[in-house]
Amino acid sequence: MATNPMHQFNVYRIGPEVKIAGIDISFTNSSLFMLLSAGAICIFLLLGTREKKLIPGKIQLVAEMFYNFIAKMISDTAGSKAKPYFPFIFSLFMFVLFCNMVGMFPYSFTVTSHIIVTLIMAMFIFVAVTIIGFIKHGFKYLKIFVPSGVPVLLLPLITVIEIISYLSRPVSLSVRLFANMMAGHTMLKVFGGFVISLGLLGGWLPLSFSVALTGLEILVAFLQAYVFAILTCIYLNDALNLHH
Amino acid sequence: MRIFVITSFFFMIFGKNLLAAEAGMPQLDPKYWASQAFWLVLIFTLLYLSISKFFVPKIRNSIDVRNSKIKDDLDEAKNLKDMSEKKLKEYESLIVNAKREVQKIYTDSKKKLNNDIQNKKKSVEKEIDDAVEKAQSEINNLKKNSIDDILKISEKMTATVIEEISGDKLNESSIKATISEVSKKKISNYL
Repeated sequence: MATNPMHQFNVYRIGPEVKIAGIDISFTNSSLFMLLSAGAICIFLLLGTREKKLIPGKIQLVAEMFYNFIAKMISDTAGSKAKPYFPFIFSLFMFVLFCNMVGMFPYSFTVTSHIIVTLIMAMFIFVAVTIIGFIKHGFKYLKIFVPSGVPVLLLPLITVIEIISYLSRPVSLSVRLFANMMAGHTMLKVFGGFVISLGLLGGWLPLSFSVALTGLEILVAFLQAYVFAILTCIYLNDALNLHH
Repeated sequence: MRIFVITSFFFMIFGKNLLAAEAGMPQLDPKYWASQAFWLVLIFTLLYLSISKFFVPKIRNSIDVRNSKIKDDLDEAKNLKDMSEKKLKEYESLIVNAKREVQKIYTDSKKKLNNDIQNKKKSVEKEIDDAVEKAQSEINNLKKNSIDDILKISEKMTATVIEEISGDKLNESSIKATISEVSKKKISNYL
């Protein structure tokens, strides 16, 4: 069973079983790695802000680089109105990035490779963005489904398509991250299994693939965190600045 | 595209029971969904609070401090640059003025020197002329005197010679007349 590439995604309980109102919310390995990632973020940011030097040290430089990176991304995609949401998007990006990166350690667990985790984040973003849209624009926010400059004849069709695409946002957002992380880690595991099964003679080829894939997966881990954050910005932009 | 390849790869291997969570994807097993959701919400909320209340203001503050410092430094540098440009202009005008002055002094002194030389030359020439004139008159005097002396000596010598030869004493006035007559004829040959 150890060679089953899906085995790494198993969730198991650590410590006692906790049930509230009949719902099992026990501490699991998933919770542990969420905690580890959040802890790593806090330690990283703590080190990065410990001494506020005029000429930043290495960690301070990286922390400020992340800050500027997210700040630029938000101002580029959603404009100045999105500034109050900066801490949320920064946290979201850091959390997804660190979960992905922590998952790259051997024998660790990738929190973001579980659809339920990504779906909850995506649903929260979806609901929050919709509420923000209605608060900012009232019922005019429904104009988002009716693009301007479309022939009247096509309008019913376009509106239906717009509604479907709007409603599929949380699904696409969550499945994109989940599928990328799951696929990458499964592939790594599969190639790792090949190394063992082909042995000393033939195992070098999948081993070299594994090395290359590890590099690729680190890139994907960053890229998916970036995509997750930038799509959030774009959805936020739709809600804040009604373009249609 | 990559995801498509990988998922089809899985379908080939685990196609039979992919959607059955027990054998295929643990992600689709709802047993710990509530737990994951609970811990995610809890941990992410704590993370969000600590980042928004603690870390972001700190980083923003340090970046703001740096930016304002950079702005101040740039302003100061601009001021200093302006000042140094002003000083450079002053220096250049000073140099131009000094050059003009030097030129003036040079031409003035040249003129003065020329005048001096001219004056000196004139006075020296005058002195030379005077000296030459004086010398000329002295020579003339000397000539005149010497002719008289020569005439006197000649008279004496002639008288003595004639007396020795003839033993007679001639009339002095006739000798004088003869000498002066001869010397008038011949003296021009020696002067």
